[in-house]
Amino acid sequence: MKTDLDAVRTAFRAEATELLAGLEKDFLALESASDPAAIESVLRSVHTLKGNSLLMGFPAASEVAHRVEDLLARLSHRTRPVTAELVTLLLQAVDTLRVMLAAHGSEGREAPDVPEIQRRLQEAAGAELPTDSAPAPEGATPEKAAEAPVPVTAERTLRVGLDRLDRMLDLTGEIAISRGRLTAMLEQAHRYSPQELLEAHRDADRLYLDLQELVLKARMVPIGRAFQPFARTLRDLCEASGKLVRLEVSGEDVEVDTAVVDLIRDPLLHLVRNAVDHGIETPAVRKRLGKEYYGTLKLRASHEAGSIVIEVEDDGAGLNRERIRARAQALGLLQPGEERPDAELFLLIFTPGFSTAERVTELSGRGIGMDVVKRNIENLRGSIAIDTREGRGTTIHMRLPLTLSIIEGFSVKVGEETYILPLQSVLECVELPETEKRPGHTGVLNLRGQPLPYLRLREHFSVEGPPPARESVVVISQGRGQAGLAVDALLGQGQTVVKPLGKVFQDVSGVSGSAILGTGRVALILDVPSLLQKALRNLPAAAS
Amino acid sequence: MSQPAASSVVQYLSFFIAGEEYAVGILQVREIIEHDSVTRVPGAPAWIRGVTNLRGSVLPVIDLAMKFGLPPSTINRRSCIVVVEVAFQGEKLVMGMLADAVGQVLDLGSGDVEPPPAFGTPVHADYLAGMGKAGRKFILLLDIDRLLNHQELRAASAVTPERAAS
Repeated sequence: MKTDLDAVRTAFRAEATELLAGLEKDFLALESASDPAAIESVLRSVHTLKGNSLLMGFPAASEVAHRVEDLLARLSHRTRPVTAELVTLLLQAVDTLRVMLAAHGSEGREAPDVPEIQRRLQEAAGAELPTDSAPAPEGATPEKAAEAPVPVTAERTLRVGLDRLDRMLDLTGEIAISRGRLTAMLEQAHRYSPQELLEAHRDADRLYLDLQELVLKARMVPIGRAFQPFARTLRDLCEASGKLVRLEVSGEDVEVDTAVVDLIRDPLLHLVRNAVDHGIETPAVRKRLGKEYYGTLKLRASHEAGSIVIEVEDDGAGLNRERIRARAQALGLLQPGEERPDAELFLLIFTPGFSTAERVTELSGRGIGMDVVKRNIENLRGSIAIDTREGRGTTIHMRLPLTLSIIEGFSVKVGEETYILPLQSVLECVELPETEKRPGHTGVLNLRGQPLPYLRLREHFSVEGPPPARESVVVISQGRGQAGLAVDALLGQGQTVVKPLGKVFQDVSGVSGSAILGTGRVALILDVPSLLQKALRNLPAAAS
Repeated sequence: MSQPAASSVVQYLSFFIAGEEYAVGILQVREIIEHDSVTRVPGAPAWIRGVTNLRGSVLPVIDLAMKFGLPPSTINRRSCIVVVEVAFQGEKLVMGMLADAVGQVLDLGSGDVEPPPAFGTPVHADYLAGMGKAGRKFILLLDIDRLLNHQELRAASAVTPERAAS
């Protein structure tokens, strides 16, 4: 029976974690607009949490939730105005509950100062006059709380809408029926024509495909889940640093695999902290520089050529080229007098132990460093780039592959193999002109008066056998320009279920995943940018 | 990994590569499948034949002959893929090994396994867990975990410039 109880505990924790995340978001929203209806909904969440905690034999958490409820009731009856101090207090209560929850599950975890937060909540709720709860004492800064992870356990759960699950169950039922029908028909196969059998099989197949798509979709979540906690992080950072930062988020709806959302969180957190700590100036400095009083931090997500691009942009001080150069020389990464292009030079900040901060502030120098950010991104088989202008700000671009998802693919044939290109990067297809028929790894063809460099996949992949009579070129967008891939034949577009290639191939560039074709064969999905980059690097060798 | 426990009998599955009989501990073997189309992965080390479809998941297939420095295996009517589970960089990984034919299941007691000789075997002694005595024949017992985790796997693939710079 212990396992049953464990399951209940797990469910409780998962729900409580979600409730707390929701509360955090709602409290932040209260600060910008105190809407009685919103308070009512927050009250309901707190009440649920209170009830659940009590039910789970966790009276301490229930008590804290109760105090929060009290305080919220005052807010809803408008006997207390919603002030920044109150929101801070409420957020601290959320943090306390989080730590309590984590401590509840595991031994040896330090429980926070619960009586203190209870006292302050009570005070805030009870006092008719504006309390002096004012800025939180140093020890209880939200900073420390933000650090307190929401770890609970390592188990990974995903909430799936009940109607989606219902539909899955329906589909499995329908599949069971059509399987039975198919078996019955096959047992009496002589009575049916091949067409009838094929038809029955196709009926079943459609159901399989529906189920597959549904299951895949259930794994895809909006990236907004990873962005959401940053409203809170920024608020805390601002409070601790005296800076003012506005958060602008876009592309929250871009769907990615839940695994990507999980893994991108830590690197993002560090980049956001870094931007506030090292990038954005204090209001006074900004005013002096003639900038807007408020700093702006932008989190953006978009789909690009089968990848997700996530950008963290700030309008702060930007990177100081000279200081980075000096630091790189001091660390022996650059020879005196050695010059590097900006893009390369700025990437040096991802070297372990590299920090241009003149002083290590309270906010920086903790937890993971920029080198860890880069490593995490690379572990996801992604890449990172920096765009910065001194005095104007910095943008960090992260390009991540979709680990598991469906993409629109464009299939081409090279030799015996089928390769899939992400459709987003395909612009058009043209026939390879007669004049370009000579073999070779690369060439340049005339595309409506513009030179188009192309890579011949057949040679690049060392496919044996003579080339076909007609070759085609797929024109792809590459960075800001265009390039071509010469292939044997064009097969057309279709939806592709991406299967990761696995650890054995983690260092193979030019291929981002694979897909299983209708024939049962495995086709590779090409990573166009890295393929072209590789071609570029191999050029001198190919020429010799 | 495939060290036989004292005084107990361990089962091995044997298979043939380039005329030689090799074996792996049967607990590491998941299944044996017929050789089907294998898709080559450009840029991967030559001894990785490519990937194949194992009931909807993508299975890497390696050519042990090439890993041992022999000419690549040729596919014949009896060629098959031995699907094994190996420890790779701290994770369990499912992989296929191309074999010219499957041999037999061997019961080897601890007395039937000799330490590998320092030289003379077609395979580097590092990759061997021992020599199994089956009748008058010796069968090479492979340590596939070590075989795959060997430095070569990483060294053979391209080093990105960023990595070289850092």
